Amino acid sequence: MSGMRVVLFVLVLVGLFMWAGEVLNRASGSTRRAVSTEGVTLENGEIVFWGAGKCHTCHAIGPRGTSVRGPNLGESADGQDMAVRAIERAEARADELGRGMSPTEYLVESLTDPGVHVVSGYKNEMPVIYEPPISLEPDQLASVVLYLQSIGGQPDPAGIELPAAALAAGRGDDEQAAWEPYLDGDPALGRAMFFDEAGAAACSRCHVVAEEGGRVGPELTEIAGTRTARFIVESLLEPSASIAGGYETVLIETTVGVILDGVLVRETPDSLWLADATGEETILARRDVARSREQETSLMPENLADLLSVRDLHDLLAYLRTLR
Amino acid sequence: MSPSISRDGVRTALQLPSAGSNRRGRGAIAACLGLAAVVASGWLLGAQELGALQQADPLTRVDDVRTFFGLSPRGVIWIVVQLHLLFAAFVVGVPWFTVAVEIIGWRKGDERYDRLAREFTRLFAATFAITAGLGGLFTFTLFGLYPKFSNYFFGIFGPILYVYGAIFLIETAVLYLYYQAWDRLQRRKGLHVSLGVSLVIVGTGIVFIGSSMSSFMMSPAGIDETGAFVGTAWDAFTNPLLIPIVVHRLLGNLTFGGFVVGAYAAVRFLTSRTDEDRAHYDWMGYVGNFVGLMGLIPLPFAGYYLGREVYGVSPVMGNNMMGGDFSWAFIIQAMLVGLLFILGNYYLWSGMRRIPGAERYQKYIKYYIVVLVGCVAVWLTPRNLPLSPAEELAIGGQVHPLLGVLGLMSTKNAVINLIILTTFLSFLLYRRANKADLVPFRDHGLGTRSLVPLAGVLCLAILGWYATRLLALDPAALDLTPEKVFYFRFTAGLLFVAMAGVVTAVGLTLRGRGHLAQGMYFTVAVVEAVAVLGVFGFIVTTAANPFLRQLAAAQWLILMSALILISAIDLALFRNARSIGGIRWGDIAARSQYALIALCVIIIMTMGMMAYVRSGLREDWHIYGVMRDTSRWAFTPSIAVMTRMVGGITIAFLAAISFLFWLANLGGHRERVE
Repeated sequence: MSGMRVVLFVLVLVGLFMWAGEVLNRASGSTRRAVSTEGVTLENGEIVFWGAGKCHTCHAIGPRGTSVRGPNLGESADGQDMAVRAIERAEARADELGRGMSPTEYLVESLTDPGVHVVSGYKNEMPVIYEPPISLEPDQLASVVLYLQSIGGQPDPAGIELPAAALAAGRGDDEQAAWEPYLDGDPALGRAMFFDEAGAAACSRCHVVAEEGGRVGPELTEIAGTRTARFIVESLLEPSASIAGGYETVLIETTVGVILDGVLVRETPDSLWLADATGEETILARRDVARSREQETSLMPENLADLLSVRDLHDLLAYLRTLR
Repeated sequence: MSPSISRDGVRTALQLPSAGSNRRGRGAIAACLGLAAVVASGWLLGAQELGALQQADPLTRVDDVRTFFGLSPRGVIWIVVQLHLLFAAFVVGVPWFTVAVEIIGWRKGDERYDRLAREFTRLFAATFAITAGLGGLFTFTLFGLYPKFSNYFFGIFGPILYVYGAIFLIETAVLYLYYQAWDRLQRRKGLHVSLGVSLVIVGTGIVFIGSSMSSFMMSPAGIDETGAFVGTAWDAFTNPLLIPIVVHRLLGNLTFGGFVVGAYAAVRFLTSRTDEDRAHYDWMGYVGNFVGLMGLIPLPFAGYYLGREVYGVSPVMGNNMMGGDFSWAFIIQAMLVGLLFILGNYYLWSGMRRIPGAERYQKYIKYYIVVLVGCVAVWLTPRNLPLSPAEELAIGGQVHPLLGVLGLMSTKNAVINLIILTTFLSFLLYRRANKADLVPFRDHGLGTRSLVPLAGVLCLAILGWYATRLLALDPAALDLTPEKVFYFRFTAGLLFVAMAGVVTAVGLTLRGRGHLAQGMYFTVAVVEAVAVLGVFGFIVTTAANPFLRQLAAAQWLILMSALILISAIDLALFRNARSIGGIRWGDIAARSQYALIALCVIIIMTMGMMAYVRSGLREDWHIYGVMRDTSRWAFTPSIAVMTRMVGGITIAFLAAISFLFWLANLGGHRERVE
């Protein structure tokens, strides 16, 4: 009898679990079907915002939604409705950039390049929504802009211009082609350029490969094993876009008013070793440091594209891609 | 009520239990029923998605995905892999405490522990073959049903798989050596224990490799955004979510192993005919529950760590987990985990009946119940519910003004801390239930006296380290403005206060005021980790949201320091204390055994559900953000489908493991007869 009671007890427990699933399923709106979102419309924008775009997992709109990870986009403690806020922000951004910016342009920018302006009190963690895993199509993205315009304002599809990257992502197939450089570079020439400390690139002044080179920047001995070709090219052309951890530039003001910048290569309780862009190190006593601040720019020269020819750049890339 | 059995009585009771011929007959029926249940569950689970298949998209590319006799490939994989994981968790989890029990028996010279460890070994040895078989079946079905994915995936993990195979062979050899050489190595116990420790190490290696594959699918490494393999197998293995998942799994396996063993003992207790058998299985059930709770206490924090790393890898995945498609699954999870704590505590309180002197503490239990039930109610309160416009109007918005607050993460953190502290208190009561006339602290040996200061130093190191980190934290690193540093300093300040509490508690203990020290530091932990930081969390949520993670870590460290320090004081306080009477093993209410069985069923369902969440978080990606699932099954199953599937798998697993335990007992009976 005890054995049967145990079996019944187990079945009741499992049955309760299944019942809870059914009840919650009904409570949470049951199964969600995929909704077609072809074309740029306000309705599609709303569907994408509260569905495939996953915007609602971070943002609420006024009293709708409960997420607090990102700013509330409706009238709330975070400000006025989004359309009104976009006008103010666009003006502020225009001042920063020194050129005009419309509220729609601001909305497009905040969706496609969200790190440019992060609302105070929130973390810079919004993903690029036209890239995986969200992968919104251009029409879906434009629909979301339309939807945001409608929060306290009038939607205006005419003003929506998506950046080339968002449009290009939309043209991609499910299986994107791997990025490949335009030219086949010569790794041997690239290597010579890398280690030529008097040359235009002079990478080895700061980077080490197989124990050879400086230690100001990150080691590149296995760079191709851990980074894609596209990332390497971006790092060459826009070194400040992504700075390796531990290699951030520090700006220091000494007690006598001298300003220095560089990478901290060594620290002791009493002193700091600061390496500049040429790899030269300066030793500073901590007591001589009045203020210091981490910079958002890399120490690496930003003008490599001007210093090198297209052919040189591809040779250098070809060499870096052999390092794995 | 069954008669009392003395400690000596237990010694004789711990022969392998008898099994009469009539019981064998019942066992055979149970076994047949079990097998039938496995087959029926499999059929039901497969049939569930069969209807959907009949409307299959004719454009589904057969190269990507194949079906299994008309059944959904995803459903088949789900069943096979979940059953494999459950058996694997048992085989990997039980050796941890088996070896610990064997070592205790060896060092104490107490044969009872040795017999218990051997019985545990018999159980996991019995399930080893089916674990391996299901693992093989999983591999075959994966290759058969998802050929394109498998080719790609195993192409990356190729070298790791060789290691996996080698480790698996080593584990097989060590396991059977450990089990079969038990008698032969009785006089060389050190060697036998070494085999057990090796088994644990090898098992952990298997957990690492198995976990690396599932974590790779969530947080790929060594490949670029197009899926091109640009790294090494090692890069793929050491992907960002590997360690968080391994930590979570190891603790989960320990909890799971403990509760399954506890349920086995409970069933044997309920079907026992003799007091000796009841005494033995009561003790075994107690050990199972103890191990299960030991694993369960840190598990919420391991889960928090995993969740935090998931956010780190992909905020999209993280948000979808807690605030998106899976938020309702977490409501069920909160219910299940809350029940685990309540039932684990209930079993401990029931067990106090068999301890002379425990009546002194019975009066406190009603308060514990109120706290636990209240905390669990808060823990499973969702932030919001889907409401009709009329309902929304009635409560003044989508979030209820009071209940909405209970749904915030800071509230959840506060109440789980209180649940853990209450469970810890239950343990303390249980430990001291039959103790009286304490030995003055100054009369203890050096070893016991130095235990408390050592624990204090450890707590100071942990708390001090984190406080210093918070003080050095740059607000810009969390995208916060410089004035937000106030929140860091306030939290660090509380950690320093806790450190002062540690010093005071150690001082009081050294002066012979151990009880006061325990009470004082417990109060510090409750006030800081639950009350102050709990309320402070609301402010941080709105004013410095990114700092919430650090705040939760501070709460956890204060809590851990309380567990460490108060345990050390308790050990010293009650060492060599006079015993009012021996534990009357077997003298426990039958309903407490149902609590053990419920713990087992709930942990199986919890594991099944969390596997659904972990896998479902990838949404329509085989490999997150890199390889998309383009088949018609690339959608997230609803909660109802999940509970049906997990419920069916739970029944199938219980039926299969009951059958295997029955087989193992046939073997055990033969051993005894020989």
